[in-house]
Amino acid sequence: MLSKIMFKEFKSIFNLNWIYFFILLIIFWIGEINLYSAAGGSLDPWALNQLTRFLFFLPLFFLVIMLEPKFIFNFAEVFLILVLIGLITTLIFGYTGMGATRWIRIAGFNLQVSEFTKIALVIFMAKYFHKLNAEKTIGLIKSIFPLIVSIIFFILVAIQPDLGTAVIILALGLVVIFYAGIKLIYPLLSLGVILLISPILWTFLKPYQQNRIQIFLNPDLDPLGKGYHIIQSKIAIGSGGLKGNGFLEGSQSSLDFLPEKETDFVFAIFSEQFGFTGSILLISLFFIMFLIPVLKTYKLTQVFNKIILFVLSFKIFFEFLINISMTIGILPVVGVALPFMSYGGSSLLSNLIICALLLNFMSISENKRMFS
Amino acid sequence: MEKNKTSEDSIKILNRRSFIIIIFGAILSLIVSLRLFSLQVINFNFYKKKSVENKLSIKLTPPLRGDIYDSKKNLLAGSTSMYEFVVFKNLSKDHFHEIKKLDSLIKLNLNFDEITNQLKKYNEYTGFSLTRASWEQIVEFEKNKFLFNSIKIIESKKRYYPYQNFSQIIGYMGQPTKSSEPYSKGVFHLEKSYEKHLRGTPGKIFNEVNAKGKTIREISIEKSIKGNDLDLTLDLTLQNYSQSQLPIEKKGSIVVIRVSDGSILSMNSNPTFDAQIFENRENNKIKDILNDDQRPLFNRAFSGFYPPGSVFKPISALVGLQRNLIDPQKKVFCKGHSSLGDRNYYCWKKEGHGKVNLKKAIKESCDVYFYELAKKTNIDDIASLSSNLGLNKEYDIGLSNIGKGLVPSKKWKKAFLDESWYQGETLITCIGQGYNQTSPLQLATLYSAILNGGKYPIPKLDKNAPTKFTGRSLNYEHQKIIINSLNAVVQEPRGTAYKLSISNPEFVKIGGKTGTSQVIRIKESEREDDQYKSKEIEERFKDHSVFVGYAPYDKPKYIASVIIENGGSGSAVAAPIAHKILDFAFKNNV
Repeated sequence: MLSKIMFKEFKSIFNLNWIYFFILLIIFWIGEINLYSAAGGSLDPWALNQLTRFLFFLPLFFLVIMLEPKFIFNFAEVFLILVLIGLITTLIFGYTGMGATRWIRIAGFNLQVSEFTKIALVIFMAKYFHKLNAEKTIGLIKSIFPLIVSIIFFILVAIQPDLGTAVIILALGLVVIFYAGIKLIYPLLSLGVILLISPILWTFLKPYQQNRIQIFLNPDLDPLGKGYHIIQSKIAIGSGGLKGNGFLEGSQSSLDFLPEKETDFVFAIFSEQFGFTGSILLISLFFIMFLIPVLKTYKLTQVFNKIILFVLSFKIFFEFLINISMTIGILPVVGVALPFMSYGGSSLLSNLIICALLLNFMSISENKRMFS
Repeated sequence: MEKNKTSEDSIKILNRRSFIIIIFGAILSLIVSLRLFSLQVINFNFYKKKSVENKLSIKLTPPLRGDIYDSKKNLLAGSTSMYEFVVFKNLSKDHFHEIKKLDSLIKLNLNFDEITNQLKKYNEYTGFSLTRASWEQIVEFEKNKFLFNSIKIIESKKRYYPYQNFSQIIGYMGQPTKSSEPYSKGVFHLEKSYEKHLRGTPGKIFNEVNAKGKTIREISIEKSIKGNDLDLTLDLTLQNYSQSQLPIEKKGSIVVIRVSDGSILSMNSNPTFDAQIFENRENNKIKDILNDDQRPLFNRAFSGFYPPGSVFKPISALVGLQRNLIDPQKKVFCKGHSSLGDRNYYCWKKEGHGKVNLKKAIKESCDVYFYELAKKTNIDDIASLSSNLGLNKEYDIGLSNIGKGLVPSKKWKKAFLDESWYQGETLITCIGQGYNQTSPLQLATLYSAILNGGKYPIPKLDKNAPTKFTGRSLNYEHQKIIINSLNAVVQEPRGTAYKLSISNPEFVKIGGKTGTSQVIRIKESEREDDQYKSKEIEERFKDHSVFVGYAPYDKPKYIASVIIENGGSGSAVAAPIAHKILDFAFKNNV
C-alpha cells in the first residue's frame, strides 16, 4: 500500500528520456577518463573509486526515478527539515577538514549535507510557489518568505565555512523566486541592496576567503602561495591550445603542478589534454543537458513540475559554468565542484539524485489534479 | 488545495522568465568560451612556454676550479677529493633530528641556527652539505649508518692549499649560499677577485621534474668545464724564504718586486694564517683566527700603512732638484737641529752631521738638510711627485683590503681636518713622518719608479697580465744623483747601512735606504733626555724599522721592501733582512 503512494508503476521506466540518460552517462564517462589521466594514467586513486560510487548509487538513482511526484510534493517540507537538522548536526558534530566543518559521518560515509540542501530547498520552494500560483504575480510580501528561508540556509552553510556552496544555495533560491514570476523590480532592488551592503559583508568573510577574492583580482600578488592555483590552472589550460596535448599528455597536471586537480581544478586537466575544441564540446554537452528538461517545461502547466525541472536542470549547468570560470580566472576560487567530473561522493550523489528527479519529472503525464 | 484554476497568464510569465534565464546561461557560456579562446588560442604560445619552463629543472654540477701556480709552475692552490655529510630532506621527515643525532655522535660542533636557515633555501631533492667528513668520522658514521636515513656521505672536490705562506695573497673560499649555485665561491683575495677566471662553467643536467622538484626523467646533460688556471708572478722558494726571515715574535712584512716589469716575487706578512683551515671548515680554529688580536688575516704588505720615515727622503730631494731649490753640491750645516719660527726640529743625530751636501744627506740620512730644503718647499709638489712615483695609490691587483695610503697636501688637510697647512708640517713630511702613510708594497714601487727613471711598471701578481707602465719621466741627472746616494748608503763608509757591506761581503752588492718610522711623536724634552733611545721604552711604542733596497746596486733587478713593526732603527733590523733576501733572490735568479 505504502509503495503505491511512494512509487510509480514499474512500466513507467520505459518512458524515460533515454537521450538525457545517455548524455549523463557520456559526461560521467568523460569524468572517469579525466580522473584516470589526472592520476597519470592510473585507476588509482580516483577513477576506480568514483566508478564504484557511481555503481553503488545507481540503485538509489533508479529509486528516485520511480518516486511518485505527488509523494515528493507532499514531503517537500519534510525534506527541508531533514536537511536543516543535517546542517545543524554538521555544525555541532561535523568532521573538520581543511579548516572547514562540512561533513558528517553517516553509515561510514562522509556526507556533505550542504549538497542536498540545494535539492531540498528547490523542492520546498517549488511547492510554495505552486500553492501561490493562482495569483497573477507574486508580490514582494509573498516572495519574502522563501527569500528568508534561502538566506537562513545560506548562512548555515556559509559559517561552515563553505562560501561556494552557500552562494549557489542563495542563487538557486533567487532563481526560483525570479522564475516563479515576481516582478522584475524586486530582483533588481535586491541586487542593489546586495551591492550596497557588500562592503559590510566583506568584513564577515574569513581572512582566507578575503584572500581568495583579492588573489582572484590579482593572482600575481602571491604566485607561489594562494595565487598559485589560478596561475597553474591557467598555464595548464592555456598550454592545451586549440587541439590539446592529447590523452595523458598533459604535463602540467601529470607532473603535479596543479593542486586539487581531481576536485575543483579537474577542468584544467581536461582542457590541457583536449584543448579549446574539447572544451567547447564539453560546454555544448552540458548546455544540451541543461536544455532537454527546460524544453519539457514549456509543455507543462503545473508550476511545481516546471520549477523542479527548470531550476534543478539550471543548477547543474550553473555549477558547471561557475567551476570553469574559477579555473580560467574569471571568478574567485570559491570551491564549487564540476558536476560528474570532480572527484567526490556527495557531489556525485546529489547530482545523480537531481538527474533522477529530472528524468522522473520529464516522464510524467500531467493531469490537473495530480497534486490535489 | 484546488489547483485547477491555474491561470494561463502565470504560466506565460514562467515561460518568459525561463527564456530570460536561458539567455543569461547562454551569455555566461559565451563569456567562458571567449575566455577559453583567449587562453588557448590567442595566448597559447605564452602559456605553452610557461608550461615548458614549469616542468624543466636545471641542476648544476660544480665545475673543477682552475689551479693557481707560482711563476715556475709550482702548485699553490688546487683541487682534491673530499667527503662531506650531506642531508637530503626528501629521504626522511626526521632529517633535522638526524642532524642533531649525527652532531652528538661525531662531535661536529654544527651551528644549528645556521643550518636551519640554510636548509629552508634548499628543496627536498637537493642535498645540503653539513660539513666535511674526516676518515675517522666516516668510519664512525658507517658503524652507525642504520640510524641515519637522510644523511649520506658524498664525495666532492675541495680546495687544497699546499703552502700556508700564500694564504694572505691567494685567500680562501666560502660556503655556497644559494641552492641554485651549490658550490663554493672565492671570498678573499685572489680566490675572490679571480672568481670568474677560476670558476669554470658548471655542468647542467636538464631534468623533467614534478611540482615538488622530484626528477621524473633526465633529458640532457652538459658537462662542466674546468676553470682557467692562474699563473702568479710569485716565487715559491722566495716566498717561503722571506717568511722564514720575518722574526716570529714581531709583526712585519716583506715585499720583493722585479724592477723590469713590476712582478711581485714575494709578499709576506707576519703573523699569517692557513687558508686550509677555512677550506676544511675547522670552525674552532677559524674563530681563533678571527678573534686573534694580532690580526693574522691582515696582510701588512698592502693593507698595513706606516709613516715611511727616511725612506721617503729621495722624493723630497727630487722635488728640491726639480724646483731648483737645492744645488746638490752646496752644503748645509747640520748642528743637530733646525729652527722654524720659535720651534726646533731635531736631526736623529743629536751632535749634528756638520757640513752636508745632498749625497751625504741621503747617505747619512741627515734630517736637518731636509728641514732646510722643506722650508723652501711647497707641500703640494711633494704630494704630486709622490703620486707620480706610485704612492697615494691603490693598485688593482686582485687583493682584498688593499689600501691607498696618504701623502698629505693642502687640499687634503682642508678637506679632512678642516685646517690650513703649516710650513712646520712640510718639515716633518719631508723626512717621511707626520701624516705620511705608505705600505711596504708602495715603498717597493716607489723605489722601482726611481730606478726606472720615473716611468715605472705597475706591480702585478698575474704572470700573464701585460706589463703596464705609468708615471712621468724623471730628469736623468736627478735620477743619477739619487741612485748614487742610495748606493752610497750601503757601499760607502758612514752610510747608514754600510754595516751590511762589512758583515756580509759575499752577498750581492745592494743600494737602498734605511728608515725609522716613528710610532709616537717624541717630545723635545724626551729627545734631550735621551729617553728616546732608552731600551726600557715600551715595546709597542718602539719605532718601526724600515728598509727598502735593490740588488745588484749597479744593475738593479730586485727591490725588497721590509718593515718590522716596533723593530727599532732601520739599519739594525730591516736592512740585514732585506740584504739576505735580495741575495737569495739574486743567487736563485727568481
